[in-house]
Amino acid sequence: MHRKAELAVPAAMAVRPRSSRMPAQLDVLQSATGVVLALFMWGHMFFVASILVSKDFMWAVTRMFEGYFFFGRSYPGVVSTLVGGILLLFVAHAALAMRKFPANYQQYRLFMSHRAAMRHEDTSLWVVQIATGFALFFLVSIHLYQMLMHPGDIGPYASSDRVWSGRWWPLYLVMLFCVELHGGIGLSRVAAKWGWFASATARQTRRRLKLLKWGVTAFLLALGLTTLAAYMKIGHEHAAQAGERYTPEQYRSVTP
Amino acid sequence: MKTIYTDVLVIGGGLAGLRVGIAARRRGQEVVILSLVPPKRSHSAAAQGGMQASLANVIQGLGDNEDVHFEDTVRGSDWGADQDVVRMFTHTAPKAVRELAAWGVPWSRVSGGDREVVINGERVTITERDAAHGLIAQRNFGGTKKWRTCYVSDGTGHAMLYAVSDQVIASGIPVHERMEALSLIHDAGRCHGAIARNLITGELVAYVAKATVVASGGAGRLYRVTTNAVINEGIGHAIALDTGVAALGNMEAVQFHPTGIFPAGILVTEGCRGDGGLLRDGDGHRFMPDYEPEKKELASRDVVSRRMEEHILAGKGARSRFGEHLWLDITLLGKHHIEHNLREVKEICEYFLGIDPVRQWIPVRPAQHYTMGGIRTLPSGQSRSLQGLFAAGESACWDLHGFNRLGGNSVAETVVAGMIVGESVADYCEQHDLNLSTALIREFGAREQARLDQLTDGRGSEDAQALKVRMQDIMTTKVGIFRDAEPLAAAVEELQDLIRRSRNIGLRSAAPGANPELVVAYRVQRMLKLAQCVAYGALMRTESRGAHYRADYPRRDDAQWLKRTLATWAHDDDTLPSLSYEPIDILRMELPPGWRGYGARNQIEHPDTAVRQAQVDAVRAAAGGGDRAALQQSLLPFREQLPPRYRGPNERIDEPLP
Amino acid sequence: MIESPVALPAENQTPRRLRITVLRYNPAVPEQLPRLQTYELDEAVGMTLFIALGEIRETQDPSLQFDFVCRAGICGSCAMVINGRPGLACRTLTTQLPETIALAPLPGFALIGDLSVDTGKWMRAMSERVESWLHSHDVEVDLDRAEARMEPELAEAIYELDRCIECGCCVAACGTARMREDFVGAVAVNKLARFRLDPRDQRDDADYYEVIGDDDGIFGCMTLLACDDVCPKNLPLMTQLAYMRRKMAAVGWRGSDGANHS
Repeated sequence: MHRKAELAVPAAMAVRPRSSRMPAQLDVLQSATGVVLALFMWGHMFFVASILVSKDFMWAVTRMFEGYFFFGRSYPGVVSTLVGGILLLFVAHAALAMRKFPANYQQYRLFMSHRAAMRHEDTSLWVVQIATGFALFFLVSIHLYQMLMHPGDIGPYASSDRVWSGRWWPLYLVMLFCVELHGGIGLSRVAAKWGWFASATARQTRRRLKLLKWGVTAFLLALGLTTLAAYMKIGHEHAAQAGERYTPEQYRSVTP
Repeated sequence: MKTIYTDVLVIGGGLAGLRVGIAARRRGQEVVILSLVPPKRSHSAAAQGGMQASLANVIQGLGDNEDVHFEDTVRGSDWGADQDVVRMFTHTAPKAVRELAAWGVPWSRVSGGDREVVINGERVTITERDAAHGLIAQRNFGGTKKWRTCYVSDGTGHAMLYAVSDQVIASGIPVHERMEALSLIHDAGRCHGAIARNLITGELVAYVAKATVVASGGAGRLYRVTTNAVINEGIGHAIALDTGVAALGNMEAVQFHPTGIFPAGILVTEGCRGDGGLLRDGDGHRFMPDYEPEKKELASRDVVSRRMEEHILAGKGARSRFGEHLWLDITLLGKHHIEHNLREVKEICEYFLGIDPVRQWIPVRPAQHYTMGGIRTLPSGQSRSLQGLFAAGESACWDLHGFNRLGGNSVAETVVAGMIVGESVADYCEQHDLNLSTALIREFGAREQARLDQLTDGRGSEDAQALKVRMQDIMTTKVGIFRDAEPLAAAVEELQDLIRRSRNIGLRSAAPGANPELVVAYRVQRMLKLAQCVAYGALMRTESRGAHYRADYPRRDDAQWLKRTLATWAHDDDTLPSLSYEPIDILRMELPPGWRGYGARNQIEHPDTAVRQAQVDAVRAAAGGGDRAALQQSLLPFREQLPPRYRGPNERIDEPLP
Repeated sequence: MIESPVALPAENQTPRRLRITVLRYNPAVPEQLPRLQTYELDEAVGMTLFIALGEIRETQDPSLQFDFVCRAGICGSCAMVINGRPGLACRTLTTQLPETIALAPLPGFALIGDLSVDTGKWMRAMSERVESWLHSHDVEVDLDRAEARMEPELAEAIYELDRCIECGCCVAACGTARMREDFVGAVAVNKLARFRLDPRDQRDDADYYEVIGDDDGIFGCMTLLACDDVCPKNLPLMTQLAYMRRKMAAVGWRGSDGANHS
């Protein structure tokens, strides 16, 4: 007598060639490079914003990165190395993220009409992320190349002169918005993607992530704009002596 | 015309049809399933409350077994059921639940220890056995002595349908979706398949098969107010009727569910009352205990629906702009219970009524719910008059439900019938060869094409939609819960007129492809005949039994009417079915006719009842409380009618298997 | 307590005149290009789009195609784009919409005609692709014996994910699915999450990786979250997508120990 439930043949359990693990690894790397870059940008923002405290403080921060307080003198090469690392990360992230870009005009058109019909925040923000990401390909490349080649040109006067007399401020202004929007949206997307910061309910998680995202973005934009304004102001005032390096207060009294 | 050959053709992609398909496929038969809609959209998904099977896991189900389930079902049917079939069903139901559990249905489970429940309006604490912890739970339903209804929250049908449908996909059974069978190909008392219409392209396709199974569900849309889906138009019944050979049984037996949402008729599950919900009238008074002191809200559906309408007629309804209704109060069950065990009900209330059932009462009124009648078959599922035609589920009358179905017995029937009928379909295919002339296929195809052409040729003048609305009105007002000779006669006469007019339907649009207007037209022609079987059968049955209630003949008349109505449609140009009657043999009954335990207590006895009762009593006395299976077998041997694989005993906590 | 919407007496309000614009196209008549057609009708009390469209077909245009089955929000047949967003038409009350209502067929699925799309074919293909049925080695389940036990909370958690009605809203709302038609969609990932949760399914993560471990599967998801926002059953899609992504990523980094069954 048969008394069995007779389950279906479990096809997934049959022997078959194993799928590539690469998609999983690329996906993780995309998120990881993005998160590292975003965290770096937060740090970066605080370091450049040191000018808001005082020129001396900013000078000290700069010297610290050049190893001045460790070795007794500045090695701008340290900055170059750091910049090189970031550049590599940036290129990797761009390459990974490019996989998600619309591959042709048809895909682009489909997505844009979908976005227009849906009027859905996270869908629309993805377009912002794609657009800012695309812009950053160029903006960040220019910036990083400059930093790579002229690592010593960082300082209260050197940076301000670059911003103002070197006419870099339009680039920084655009880049500021691109970076903060891209990073803010990206970080919250990564959190949702991997289920980080989960609250009791999914709805609550969404609400909190959204609040956090816009809060952080608004704060960083405000900080960034103020900082840029400060450099522009110093650059403007220092335009006549452009090229001259800043000497901190404590050393000024020694050297007449 | 494209012709597709297969071993088994299943018409209907709901639970019954899918389960038949799986059974036949696993016996090595080629199966094709036709479905009006994607199978997971079938009306089986709408079954909310649960499936009856005597597992006896919960403490309130203690002592439950096949015997109790059998008696409840027979009483519920008002002795209209075929007791052999009821035995086969109650024996297989626990196996069906357990099979579905193995297929992944997330049955709600027993939690050992104390829990609070609402019984008869009171919160009481009951203690579940630790031995039952983690086993499948049961809830209370109407017309049952024990808590027997296994459930998945209140989405039981959905969960079952998805699990079974997934097994169909896993088995590689093709489902031809949006395919509507328009007629059965038959010749010399044997069925050979069906002519079907593709509802996307409009083309006709012939399906030729050794065995054809109709599992097309109910015919609720004969009525205006129904809980049924819009696809439940009884076309499967109608194409069987159309053969002139196959008979429909007991079409006048139509169930009205007590709690259709008013006025839309959307179902809220019997589980609401099973879990402790109450019915209240316009004054907020709980009225059911006044009528049914024993079972109260949980008498069988026919009784509760009748009492509700009676109460409304007595002027006690709540008034609204759409007419009168009553209230279903589940507020006493509490937020947690409603959000976990009645969540579909909550969603329906929120979306369609804009109310929160945790705090507010639900407006309800009985609505057409179930078609007990169907294609009359043997216990094996095969038609008694057309070889090779099988039926299962709501479209069949093998006859599990008699004149009233118990809540929870329909989804149970779909899978159980699928298991049993599927095996006999496979047996039939093993024993028979396909043997027909292609001329026959051509002839049937040409006949259907001619019928469609006649509708689209632009010469007709009748509006199909208007005919349909009129039919639904007649059925709702004259062939409803309370029936009487005069309105029934009027209904029959007017339906005759509508049938004649339906031969002269003209379409307003002639768009190629699906053409929804054409669909309405050819369906209404078929539905009218079916409606006439209901109305005429109701007019002729001069007694009250189960859901069939005649105000002019309020007594159940076993002496005259313990028999099934069989309807056939002899000629295309008839306007009435030919009725004949099939007696139900009391001398074979395990449970001879008596009082149901609720409802009226005024039946006219059949002389055989006393004879059989004496025999049964003698057998029981002789057995003296020995092995219940042996006693049962001596009263009504049924096991040999079951497929061998389903004959074994069912294990329970208190009835362990060695 | 005894008051409810249907019990309220009718006020002497003039009903709103609804303007329902439908994107129409019948593939059987390819020479007639897709077009917008507007129907006007009076709003009625408790009117849903099911009732409104039915009335239009009965009184104005018998050729209008759309799908309804259960008309109670449980079968998933009637998903369409309502004023730009996918949703179930049968349970959308017209009172929740402005007087002008735009209806379009669900994108991402083969069009049958007007508002009717072939979600059934898509869903079956999806089921076959990700093998969305319970996989078990126990082919010898004895149906006479008591069922295997399961914790009540676990059964409820499985049902929570089992409530999907395959309406297609999540796919239609998904920008990724719109751009890349091979994307598997939230519906499939949720199903696998459901089976992964179910101890009766004996597949392991490496098995699931085989069916969704690529850029058309879970790694194609760009977390636009529209699926989570439009799901008529409020399924926790964001949570399940993230969950499966973590599990599949773990398979991807674990190396070769995810050996296949034989």
